[in-house]
Amino acid sequence: MLNRLLTALAFSFLVGAFALPAAAQSPAAGGADTPVDTREVRAWLTRMHDAAGHRNFQGIFVVNAGGTVSSARIAHFCVGAEQFERIDSLDGQMRQVFRHNDIVHTLWPQSRVAMVERRDLLTTFPALLQSGSDHIADFYDVRSQGSERVAARDALVLLLRPKDGLRYGYRLWADRITGLLLRAEVLGEHGEVLEAAAFSDLTIGGRAQPDSVLAPMSKLDGYRVMRPSLTPVRLEAEGWSLRQPVPGFEPVGCVRRTLSRPGEVDAGATPQVLQAIYSDGLATVSIFIEPHDPNRHTRGVQASVGATQTLMRRAGASWVTIVGDVPASTLRQFSAALEYKK
Amino acid sequence: MRSASDGQAQPLQDLSALADGEVDAAAAARACAHWRTDPLARSSWHAYHLIGDVLRSDELASDAVADAGFLGALRLRLADEPAVVAPRPIDAAAVSIDDNGAPAARATGRSWMLPAALAASLMAVATVLVVTRGTGPEAEATLARARPDGGGIAAPRGEVLQDAPTLVADGKLIRDARLDRYLAAHSQFGGSSALGVPSGFLRAATTQAPDR
Repeated sequence: MLNRLLTALAFSFLVGAFALPAAAQSPAAGGADTPVDTREVRAWLTRMHDAAGHRNFQGIFVVNAGGTVSSARIAHFCVGAEQFERIDSLDGQMRQVFRHNDIVHTLWPQSRVAMVERRDLLTTFPALLQSGSDHIADFYDVRSQGSERVAARDALVLLLRPKDGLRYGYRLWADRITGLLLRAEVLGEHGEVLEAAAFSDLTIGGRAQPDSVLAPMSKLDGYRVMRPSLTPVRLEAEGWSLRQPVPGFEPVGCVRRTLSRPGEVDAGATPQVLQAIYSDGLATVSIFIEPHDPNRHTRGVQASVGATQTLMRRAGASWVTIVGDVPASTLRQFSAALEYKK
Repeated sequence: MRSASDGQAQPLQDLSALADGEVDAAAAARACAHWRTDPLARSSWHAYHLIGDVLRSDELASDAVADAGFLGALRLRLADEPAVVAPRPIDAAAVSIDDNGAPAARATGRSWMLPAALAASLMAVATVLVVTRGTGPEAEATLARARPDGGGIAAPRGEVLQDAPTLVADGKLIRDARLDRYLAAHSQFGGSSALGVPSGFLRAATTQAPDR
């Protein structure tokens, strides 16, 4: 009996200390917990994505990841097919991000450094959704968990539980009226919250003010401007391939690029790397490949920040870094499948 | 575990619901009282958790050796703990050898361990109950409680790469600066795909390591 009791105690500890499975997997008190069918899943996720692109909204967004809480003021405007966005970081060093469609300016006003990038090389999520093969419902079990109030708005709660151990779960709060994502949690394999992001204050549907984005983008006088180069390439053409695909993850793009640290101006010091990006529609994995440099690449590394895992290792004459919002074991599958033949 | 069969006795159903965190205060009290008095209830309670653990992760099912090791260590630690309840003075008779060949004084130790284990177990139950309600105003508290280490990082348990140190960020910056540029490059695309602009794009904007 004592044995049994102690076993019960041990399991209770496990449940209480690490797991929180009940928190993640049982419905909120009084909320419905009903499966959502494939078509509806697609409809909701598409709505969330569209709302992020096509609505005017302004608010404060708070991200809690890796033990750090950071917040930013975000304003998004839409005029016809054109999108404008402005993000001001509210914590740490001042940083501003201005986006007009695919062109993104990141400014560090104190050090007078600006980074100008184009982000049109990868069309990911909508393409995956529209390709007809509905991966999200194949790899995630989607349930509706009723509604909750977030940022003073009525939100529909969706729980996406992975069907295998290759990805994390998500709990998403979507605005019932517009579909805009109000809050998101990334859930670990035991249902623990690895990362959370939410609007704490939000106005949807205000007047568009594109000038508040365009004016600062046209005034880069006095800034040292960095333009990281990104060239689309094919992974296979570079001699690399995945021996066998990791279930659910499809290639969504591959570029040859420089890896500049934000604010780092000396482009000569930044090596060229290959970046191949894979996505299952929700989670993304990047594989970086560069020549092995014995001075900088001394030994393998595995790191974890919030929901983002990193794996670094040597592969022959190359140095491979795999970063993804997935469990570390998934990164190891990518690592094991990656091969060079030339 | 709502699927518990309808033919099941009501107390066990309460217990099952309690394990799922789906009962109100009155039912929880009833189930706990039942748990206290009925050995069958206690073994069911254990079974429910075991089932739940196995459903959630195969690792928890397969690793009986680790469980035994954990239990052994726990027992040793428990035995070392000072008794919070003053034990009875050991009389001469109690020092005699018991059936198992162990000094019977050990049994005195167990007599407080049982209630202590019981109390600890119920405390764990209470924690789960609190946490289960965590989607309301106390969501932030839940978030904090979800990380008993306070570090805010889920250490990749049992997933350590051979010969590779596991780095864990514990604050604003990752200690190994060479990771920064990869994380920044990844977050340009990572996440921005999935949940629309606010989460991914903004995460990149807010969590990038500041320039120094």
